[in-house]
Amino acid sequence: MMEMIYGQIGGAVAHFPIFAVISLFLGAFLTALVGKRRALLRRGIVFVSSLVSLVLVILMIPPVMSEGWIITYWMGGWEPVGQWAIGIGLEADALSLFFALIVTAAVFTAALYSFPYMAQDSQPENYYTLYLMLAGSLLGLVLSGDLFNIFVMIEIMTMTAVALTAFRVDYDGALEGAIKYMIVGSIGSSAVLVGIAILYSQLHTLNLAQLALRLPEANSPATAAAFAFLFVGFGSKAFLFPFHPLAADAHAVAPASISMIISGVITKCGVYGIIRLCYVLWQNMSLPAVSTAVTLIGAVSCFICVTMAFNQHNFKRLLAFHSISQIGYVIAAVGLGSFFGLEAGLFHAMNHTIFKGLLFLAAGAVQHAAGTLDLDRLGGLARKMPRTFLLFLIGAAAISGLPPFNGFASKWMIYQSVFEKAEESGNPVFILVLVLCLLSSVLTLASFVKVTQSVFFGPCRPEYAELRDVSAAMRVPMWILATLCVITGLFPGAVRNILLAPAAAAAGNPAAYIDAVFGVGTAAGAHIPEAAKASETLIGCWEPLSWLWLLLTVTCAVCFVMVLGGRPFGRTVQADDAEERRQASEKLFAGLPDPKYESFFSGEKAEFSHVGGSDLFWGFKYSLRRYFSYMRRWHSGNVNDYTRYGIAALAFMLAFAVLCL
Amino acid sequence: MFQKWIDSSMKKSPWIFHINAGSCNGCDIELVSVLTPRYDAERFGFRLTGSPRQADIVVVSGPITMQSRERLVRTLAQVPEPFCVVSLGSCPRSGNVFKGSYAIDGPLEKWTHVDVSVGGCTPKPEAIIAALAQAAELLEKKRSRMHG
Amino acid sequence: MDFLMLAVQILVFPGLLFMTAMGVLLTGLGGKLVARLQNRVGPPVLQPWYDILKCFGKEMIVPEHAGRAVYIGAPVLGFAVLCTAGFFIPMGGRAVFSGTADVIVVLYLLTFCSVMAMAGAASTGSPFAGVGVSREMVAMISYELPFVLILLAVGKLAGSDTGGVTFSLQSIAEWQRIHGPVLFHWSMIPAAIAMLFVISCEAGLHPFDVAEAETEICEGLLAEYSGLPLAFYRLTHCVRLFIMTALFAALFLGGLAAGNDGLAVLLLVAVCIVLTFLCMALPHGICARLRVEQLFRFYWTVVTGLALVSLVLVWFGL
Repeated sequence: MMEMIYGQIGGAVAHFPIFAVISLFLGAFLTALVGKRRALLRRGIVFVSSLVSLVLVILMIPPVMSEGWIITYWMGGWEPVGQWAIGIGLEADALSLFFALIVTAAVFTAALYSFPYMAQDSQPENYYTLYLMLAGSLLGLVLSGDLFNIFVMIEIMTMTAVALTAFRVDYDGALEGAIKYMIVGSIGSSAVLVGIAILYSQLHTLNLAQLALRLPEANSPATAAAFAFLFVGFGSKAFLFPFHPLAADAHAVAPASISMIISGVITKCGVYGIIRLCYVLWQNMSLPAVSTAVTLIGAVSCFICVTMAFNQHNFKRLLAFHSISQIGYVIAAVGLGSFFGLEAGLFHAMNHTIFKGLLFLAAGAVQHAAGTLDLDRLGGLARKMPRTFLLFLIGAAAISGLPPFNGFASKWMIYQSVFEKAEESGNPVFILVLVLCLLSSVLTLASFVKVTQSVFFGPCRPEYAELRDVSAAMRVPMWILATLCVITGLFPGAVRNILLAPAAAAAGNPAAYIDAVFGVGTAAGAHIPEAAKASETLIGCWEPLSWLWLLLTVTCAVCFVMVLGGRPFGRTVQADDAEERRQASEKLFAGLPDPKYESFFSGEKAEFSHVGGSDLFWGFKYSLRRYFSYMRRWHSGNVNDYTRYGIAALAFMLAFAVLCL
Repeated sequence: MFQKWIDSSMKKSPWIFHINAGSCNGCDIELVSVLTPRYDAERFGFRLTGSPRQADIVVVSGPITMQSRERLVRTLAQVPEPFCVVSLGSCPRSGNVFKGSYAIDGPLEKWTHVDVSVGGCTPKPEAIIAALAQAAELLEKKRSRMHG
Repeated sequence: MDFLMLAVQILVFPGLLFMTAMGVLLTGLGGKLVARLQNRVGPPVLQPWYDILKCFGKEMIVPEHAGRAVYIGAPVLGFAVLCTAGFFIPMGGRAVFSGTADVIVVLYLLTFCSVMAMAGAASTGSPFAGVGVSREMVAMISYELPFVLILLAVGKLAGSDTGGVTFSLQSIAEWQRIHGPVLFHWSMIPAAIAMLFVISCEAGLHPFDVAEAETEICEGLLAEYSGLPLAFYRLTHCVRLFIMTALFAALFLGGLAAGNDGLAVLLLVAVCIVLTFLCMALPHGICARLRVEQLFRFYWTVVTGLALVSLVLVWFGL
């Protein structure tokens, strides 16, 4: 990484970015060609095209991440002349590749899940065509080297995501969610377009590297306005506050595999856009005003969405609010502008895709089996779907940040980086951010306790007596994600060395990005900041060794008990007067199940009584009833209101950018 | 040795669960008074518990009305072995003034083995403590018979 | 040899044996102190130990709605996790494990332990346990906010030498060795008072034990527990009191008797006993149990306010 060679990398690797994107789009067209019948062929095409793109992206990791190459690819060989890049280019540096990895891995897993999950739905050919279009646009977005292509990809992404949200059109609220997503999403898209227009009028180029080269010199209110438009545009794609209500409406009604993509990947593309914007193009994340504002937006999204999640009755709606809450964490960390903060944000972005994907897939499994997602109507599924339950628990523990899962490692990094920043800048806002983040973590835990209690624990409802766990085909993708949760949680150091550090270094080194396009030394002449120094902070959260000791402790404790109790688990003990009581109980309860194993119900016959859903956490909601009723009024579900919030955010950002940049 | 330890702690930590099977509340008040600072049964480790799953001594008061009969038997079935049943006052023993009423289905012996019975309407706290202490002794014996 | 040493540390001191013994001792002493405050004789000091042993001897009834693995596994795992948290807290001069941010690890491990209690309770399917879960969670939200603020305040004060904020218990102890205990800095006294309340709630002590209210909700979380897993819950309760008091000692009274390990352990025991009196016996003797929303309001206003005062004072270098 030290001896960077920013030239054309030779060999086949140079063509991998375009092949990875094309493979997905080609798959989309082939799927459409195959038509209604031949399910096996269709699945084969989807499987192969998503696998090919994943493999190509993985193959790019060694040269880009470890050796520090930046792969540039010019369509039709339209290479830059002088310092003008006119052609359509793809530019894959470590940052793009990091997000490309998230995209392709999630797309592949969700495709595997779709095969059994969508088997009963009609029009599979439309589903898979749209799905691969969405996947291709996402990958194209993160690999693209110029702003206009990013806009095109955003448009494809939004339109296919809207169509897929409404795919199960007979679901209650599916059309409504899709229309809201389309209307408010189009505000974001138009903001991006306006931003692009302003930039083009000012600098006459849209190539990212060229913009990065020229923007620092061409600072004017117009470019500041462009920044605001682009920021709000990407922010709306990440569903940041105040665009978050849409996410809930859209996620809750989309098929689970699509929810996973919307929450796990589309939001990440918004995050990618913001990082590209602030670190590479404008290089303004070092300004205290920008840094504070972005971090604060993140922390506020984080907190508001987690409290909104508290009130939800729908499993996936609750998860949707949590997505935005987790994205809030990511943005808060990214906004710090420190190398370690960026690493923490990227790590959390990756982990969020993993655990939230797992949770959405588990929710999909519950929906598949039980036919509903209403937390007030589910209950007692732990014994009917033990495997799904275990997978859900792993995801829930990871998102709540319980050690040893990945959420803990990345949240720890976020806290540490916020703290360092607070210390370094002496700005008490960052302490507020830290407290909000830590509090949100507890509230996240609380709402997952709610889900676990409502869906999986408690007595089983009679209508679910015949319920069966989902098939192995649906569990395989969940197992992949669960394994990733554990691995990235246990070895955060390795993940950091292989993926996070190069990606963060790429974001902090716009000079390399420019030189890769225009030749070595171009950036040296302009006022491009030095490459950011790698962070010295250690991931000191734990050594895996201590967790082995934990295991030892468990074993010791169990052995201790075995010896002490003097008998193995479960053997019932017969007292000499027990027989008499049993006979009495036979006399009264002949033919009924043995009351001994019923739940204690103050002596009554145990009835169905489940504390779950909206009944939990009464004390908390009651004490904060003013806040919650205000929030409820604010999240009116009215698309006019949401549009107004979007416009207000845009106005605010514009004023902020023009005043502060 | 562990078994011995466990056996001897059976009598040192008897937790009480109280079932009112139609009592007039007199015995119940006396039972509670046993735990007040004046008599302080807690010095022997007695403690009122809220769930039969954790009880060692089940104290039953009242003449076992028809309404409470099923609840009584169901709750007794939910107590983990070994445990003792103490009948408190005259009602569960004989029906007291309610004897012969169409509404009662006593005595307590009909439904369970009674380990200790303390008479009186209502019994004195001292008598209750003596009965509970006796029940605690019985607990240890029961436990040692169970693994012996 | 190293391995043997570590094994001794894990199993005997300051590991399982020491923590269990201290937990039982503190809980027993607390019970005795409450009794003395109410002018009673009170149970023997070893009462919690008898309670636990007795539970081992009782039958275990797994209710029909319960998942067997969670029902038995949750208490055992909760206990193990709690002990692991204990390994990060310096006792007698040093901790078994230490890292750059062990405060956060301890915070999360304590949370994990509560989650295990909730998971076990929820798995039984009893409505009483359901209410218990909800109350436990609300209690946790209540004390977590002031707890975080206290940790920040102490971390900021102890990091003032290096110009940073420290999350490491080791460096907090180091700082106190040089500058004297944190508690002796007047600006930290509100945080210490807040921490006393946090201990009470975290350890589920009397006025704040809403989740296990035996008279209202039939023991709440423990409504369906009997026999062996119940014994583990009791054990966890005892050890949790010790760990919280030891954490207080590490945060506010660290660095006492540095260099002399034996004396340091004795001092730790003394501090824990005093704290037990303050957090367990005194409020128990004085107050009736709070309602859950009263508890929440109390923690998010009074206790958080106290912690915030310290944080602000420390932030401005006082």
